Amino acid sequence: MTQDYIRQRERRTGWLLILPALLVLLLVYAYPILRAFWLSVFTENLSTNLEPVFSGFENYGRMAQDGRFWASLGNTAIFTAASLVLELILGLGVALTLDQAFRGRGWVRTIAILPWALPTALIALAWRWIFNGEFGVWNDILMRLQIIGNPINWLGDPNWAMLGVIAADVWKTTSFVAILLLAGLQSIPQDLYEAHAIDGATPLQSFRKITLPLIMPQILIAMLFRFAQAFGIFDLIQVMTGGGPGGATEMVSLYIYATVMRYLDFGYGAALVVVTFVILIAVVAIAALYLSKVRHAAGVEE
Amino acid sequence: MFDTLRNWVLQLGRRTRQAIAISAIAALVAIALGTWSVAQQPVTISFLVRAVEAEQLQLLVDQFEAENPDIRIDIVQGPNAADAVENLYTTSFLLGDSPYDLVYADVVWIPKFAAAGWLQDLSDRVSDDDLSAFLEADVLSGQYQDGLYRMPFRSDMGMLYYRTDVLDEIGAEPPETFEELLALAQQAQTETDVTWGFVWQGAQYEGLITNFVELVSGFGGFWVNPDTLEVGLDSPEAIAAVEFMRQVIADGITPGGVTNYIEEDSLRMFENGNALFLRNWPYVWAEANKDGSPVQGNIALKPMVHAEGQQPAACLGGWGFGLAVDTPHPDEAWRVVEFFTSRQGQKDFVLEFAYVPSRRDLFTDPDILAAFPHYQQLLEVAETTVPRPPVGQYAQISDILQRYLSAAITDQLSPEDAMQAAARETRRVLGSPDNNA
Repeated sequence: MTQDYIRQRERRTGWLLILPALLVLLLVYAYPILRAFWLSVFTENLSTNLEPVFSGFENYGRMAQDGRFWASLGNTAIFTAASLVLELILGLGVALTLDQAFRGRGWVRTIAILPWALPTALIALAWRWIFNGEFGVWNDILMRLQIIGNPINWLGDPNWAMLGVIAADVWKTTSFVAILLLAGLQSIPQDLYEAHAIDGATPLQSFRKITLPLIMPQILIAMLFRFAQAFGIFDLIQVMTGGGPGGATEMVSLYIYATVMRYLDFGYGAALVVVTFVILIAVVAIAALYLSKVRHAAGVEE
Repeated sequence: MFDTLRNWVLQLGRRTRQAIAISAIAALVAIALGTWSVAQQPVTISFLVRAVEAEQLQLLVDQFEAENPDIRIDIVQGPNAADAVENLYTTSFLLGDSPYDLVYADVVWIPKFAAAGWLQDLSDRVSDDDLSAFLEADVLSGQYQDGLYRMPFRSDMGMLYYRTDVLDEIGAEPPETFEELLALAQQAQTETDVTWGFVWQGAQYEGLITNFVELVSGFGGFWVNPDTLEVGLDSPEAIAAVEFMRQVIADGITPGGVTNYIEEDSLRMFENGNALFLRNWPYVWAEANKDGSPVQGNIALKPMVHAEGQQPAACLGGWGFGLAVDTPHPDEAWRVVEFFTSRQGQKDFVLEFAYVPSRRDLFTDPDILAAFPHYQQLLEVAETTVPRPPVGQYAQISDILQRYLSAAITDQLSPEDAMQAAARETRRVLGSPDNNA
């Protein structure tokens, strides 16, 4: 009885203590998205003189028929998937290398994190020059190596441009993935590998049976972060291609920006934000569910 | 309360009391002086300009400030990309408290800014008589619904450049119609050493739109009727215009790379002597005639070609001034606009920087003709200018048209399909009557 009373009181105090934080979170996160949802059921653009006029789900209906929205969603999906896969493979490679003991490892680790620490807009400017059709260093290298005969207009061609922005993103954020995975690798006790080796396992088997399962939580967390960032990518694309050529690299975030800032179509812009938000939340929720499963499984094994 | 204060003062030594009194008087005098000097301080009129042009406008700013000691002009230097400047103006107006008294705007921003209620109607400030001195299209494109929202400053227009030496070589007159242009181009490509017949701007950007506007008017069609919001993109005339763009590429009159060309690319091709005809803006004259240019002295300009029985058309560009809706100094700001757009202001600016005036009589002004003899022909072009549709959603319908034009000239869609889709999407954005039936 007394026990219960104390526990209840503690619980109440606990709620009181987290209340301010909850309120701040609601204000910062819940309010904007609820407001966006509210705006999205209004038509508020130049044809209504920027006055909100209730229009129900008309904006969503318009979205379904909006080829440009679907194209930008497709671009975003390709960009996100390609950069995530490449970053995971390369990041794991870098992490495994940095996990080995060698002279000057501290320096190399510091250098490896540099691309991630630099401002994206600057990196994007640099890559725009690297891929410049006439003066770019990338064309120069390829031509000196005789891989291509004529300079390629990398960012001016719809197919190459997408590869260009993916390459820049991979270069910049692979180190982020690598650092996260490195933390995971260092938490694996060495004796596991020793025991496994005594049992006659090859390094490749150890990698598959010990390393991969044990860093799975870190992999998932890294991918979750990267997904959220890549799906909302704006600055890199805006500076490198502005979404061109011909909308070939236009991401959802750029389309939203154009809708709101250039077309002053606030209601439709809000509807685009809501849909993007829902997609993002759905993927993150699925990943989080999977993550807790993996963690649970790992906990049972230990 | 007062007693306590008095007691406290009395307790102070005489010197301290004196000191307090003196500082109180000094403070009062300072406040009075300050108020007076604020009242005397000139009003500051501020606006945002692309950095390159800000330096040029300084010429007029200095003149204005010398004549008007009660007004200072603060030109804020923006990025050199016009889009970025538009975004900065947009943001400042969306946030409500715009720091700019004037808007120095590209002609295509005006309907959007006017529709959003960011600009003041200037109709009461300027008479029709004053306006008649400007090029007609320049005035028209400053109008939105029943108001006038822009005073034209410097104009810009598209035209056809041609190589006089090549036409002499094949013994031909400059073309008037589309057919003549095609025939001459092909003849020159086979009989002379020019590689290409006709170069223009085909990349997916606003420049492609300006090319299209000239062609569609030349065929007798239209894009959007701003009064009825009728959309003419799926009319036979508009499809013929797109077909013309596609055909010149297919026939090898225009290089295939044109679908990625902006002004500089097409200019370079023409300037190096590789093309007979070029569609471009007025700045090309000075560029192609400068020392060392392979075509120096061998070029001429004329209004764009058109279909038989139709009129030539030049797409209007250019910059002008609007009055911000919430400026605290509308009258002072208007004086700045009057000065910049005045005959003398434009003349000085044109003579110094070779821009195109928006006042008709400046094209034939003796001083300007002495400096730029070709302004005589430029006036012929200027008389044919047509504005892009002044609708609030211009940016949106331009993006739609750019996408479908680009798809059509790169053979991803047939001209009919592309224009039908573009017309459909444009109608949806504008809420136009459906004239498909």
